[in-house]
Amino acid sequence: MAITSAICNSFKQELLVGTHNFTNGANSFKLALYTSSASLGAGTTAYTSSNETSGTNYSATGSALTNVTPVLASTTAVCDFNDLTFSNVTITARGCLIYNDTNSDKSVCAIDFGGDKTSTAGDFTIVFPTPTASGAIIRLA
Amino acid sequence: MMKDNIDFGLGQVMVSTTNSGGHDPEFWAEQATNKICGISEQAAPHIKEQALAFRAAVYNVILAGMRSAIASDRVTVSHKLKEIGHSDVAKFIKEL
Repeated sequence: MAITSAICNSFKQELLVGTHNFTNGANSFKLALYTSSASLGAGTTAYTSSNETSGTNYSATGSALTNVTPVLASTTAVCDFNDLTFSNVTITARGCLIYNDTNSDKSVCAIDFGGDKTSTAGDFTIVFPTPTASGAIIRLA
Repeated sequence: MMKDNIDFGLGQVMVSTTNSGGHDPEFWAEQATNKICGISEQAAPHIKEQALAFRAAVYNVILAGMRSAIASDRVTVSHKLKEIGHSDVAKFIKEL
């Protein structure tokens, strides 16, 4: 059991058939948090409740992300989301899954935080990287 | 034969947590500034210096704006609480 940071394989195929639209206001994407017991990675195809984090003020299935419409950074297409805060929560999470809430909860990517992160009656904030050609959360070069 | 490589890349998120309270305005000002002002590692020294000065100015403007917004919101919340008869809580919030 482990969480491995990866773009999901199924997502690559689904992009080519138009399943995912990251334009602001188009598809709705969500981010769910998971414990270190979860098994997530390139092979994940959809949201799962198995080993999802639970705790005060955290709701199963996670929270909605706000899409920033993808742009080109030089020759690389980049995707971005607004930072996401789970407020006033008491939780521990080791990683997360971004998935398409509009289209059958199909997965986009799994992310390992590198260690357990804990909030106790506080904020649990996911800060997305600056959407550059080398650092954006999702890049297609 | 035409050849082109297409690669997917996945960036790394940062996770920031707090205990017994939320993030302070300095944290949010820093995140907002990072979104607005990216400075290239390869930038020439004199360009980098100007960019860093601009970045600091943006940070200070955002921080001041956030502090003002928080203060205004507390006044609003305090007023609403006073209206429904919770003057003690209203006073506490105003003095935070």
